[in-house]
Amino acid sequence: MATLNLQHIDKIYDNNVQAVFDFNLDVKDGELIVLVGPSGCGKSTTLRMVAGLEDISAGKLLLDGRDITATPPKDRDMAMVFQSYALYGHMTIYENMAFSLTLRKENPNVIHKKVLAAAEILDLTSQLNKKPAQLSGGQRQRVAMGRSIVRNPKVFLFDEPLSNLDAKLRGATRREILLLHKRLRATMMYVTHDQTEALTLADRIVCMSMGRVQQVGTPLELYDSPANVFVASFIGLPPMNFYDARVNGGQLNGEGFTVALSPEEQHRLRGYNNREIILGVRPEDVAEGADVPVTVSSNENLGMNTLVHGHIGGSKAATAKISAKLKGWRDYKVGQSASFTFGRKHFFDKETTNAIRGGEG
Amino acid sequence: MTAEDRAIQRDRMRFIKNSLSSNLAILGILFDVFYFVSIYKSDVGTWYYTILTGASIVYNLVFMLAVFLSSEGVKNYKRGYSYLLIALGVFQAVRIFIIPMRAHTAETLINGAATVVMQDGQFYRVAAYLLISGACLIASAVVNLIRCRALAEHLKTLDAQGA
Repeated sequence: MATLNLQHIDKIYDNNVQAVFDFNLDVKDGELIVLVGPSGCGKSTTLRMVAGLEDISAGKLLLDGRDITATPPKDRDMAMVFQSYALYGHMTIYENMAFSLTLRKENPNVIHKKVLAAAEILDLTSQLNKKPAQLSGGQRQRVAMGRSIVRNPKVFLFDEPLSNLDAKLRGATRREILLLHKRLRATMMYVTHDQTEALTLADRIVCMSMGRVQQVGTPLELYDSPANVFVASFIGLPPMNFYDARVNGGQLNGEGFTVALSPEEQHRLRGYNNREIILGVRPEDVAEGADVPVTVSSNENLGMNTLVHGHIGGSKAATAKISAKLKGWRDYKVGQSASFTFGRKHFFDKETTNAIRGGEG
Repeated sequence: MTAEDRAIQRDRMRFIKNSLSSNLAILGILFDVFYFVSIYKSDVGTWYYTILTGASIVYNLVFMLAVFLSSEGVKNYKRGYSYLLIALGVFQAVRIFIIPMRAHTAETLINGAATVVMQDGQFYRVAAYLLISGACLIASAVVNLIRCRALAEHLKTLDAQGA
């Protein structure tokens, strides 16, 4: 398959709006990279630059070490799967899948073999004589993938391929993409704004905001060690709780709560004594305890867990909101007083919003 | 061509439409149109003003509709449409003797002079159009019959393998 290197890539549109700033990434052979971020963060623009559908304003794009920055899309040997499927409605599934090869004037018998093989992989053999309108959204997306597979490209590019599907189909198709990746071991770049897709599919995730890469890492790295407040808030559902807090020796004083710091946490925050930081706590790291008084504003039972939302110390300030994902079935009433404690804590510098790993300050 | 290539070619018929037969049938319509627009072009007074002309116009409309429907039928390997196309194709040849031959042998008075209604050149041209049209229809039908048979045999083999 292929390696892909994006070196210092910028995208500046004609109206001088810069969509992507100094994007650097090395995609390994057979790796599935997911670009994730909110709408307008530049992830689709980056993917389109890789595909050749957008010009690269500055920087270099290398495929297997060969500079393809100015290579036309048709010569890049990449296949793209779009959110809207982009299937031809008047053609059968077979014809849709064979279309790109027919345009290249490949031998019809070779095309036939490739289409049947792709259909077999995607479980579409029984649908080959149907028209796209006769298929479900998930099947249509599989056809779009099949159209890419038959070309046997060096790199697969997916631009939010599951966004048009309902939740159930999205889950099923996501698993199919994962199986497809395992089966083909192809180099893939996948764009999504859905963190669940990113966490479940990716070998590595590139988290983007405002055209800049915020963090590159494995799903676990992004979840466990977010590089900054943005990544911490974007990855994880429900999102992380954030509080302004002051480091006070072995304690952390926030608005309406005081929590003790472990020796390891104190070590990490040694340069921040008597300074304000941002404390981040994932809802799943909040437990029932005695440190944080909370007034409950809602109680959502999810079966295995209960999601409790509230305000710390009865305050209505937005900054003092708390979400807790408690194990088991709970039955808190609205307005009820409760008391929680924080488990694993994440610390961020208040000025830079970067994670405090220890030794800064 | 190897045996494997032939097998793949047959298997392709499960998914690829019979465009050759369909296109030949459409070509048959096209040459019928050439015939139709060529036959009445000479100025021979009222010689053509008979019930045959009306019938010819109606037949042409029916012919075009029937061949178009048949072209869609053979595109999907429907065997029955082949027989209709053969009948229509043979009748295209018969049509030479209905109007063109009569016009070719008839004379009418133009400006007081006896004139052949359809001169040699025009006659051979319209006869050729009808013959080509008929040949296209018959070729379309024959190709479809051959392919239908091959496809049926292939499907039978696949069924046997599946069982």
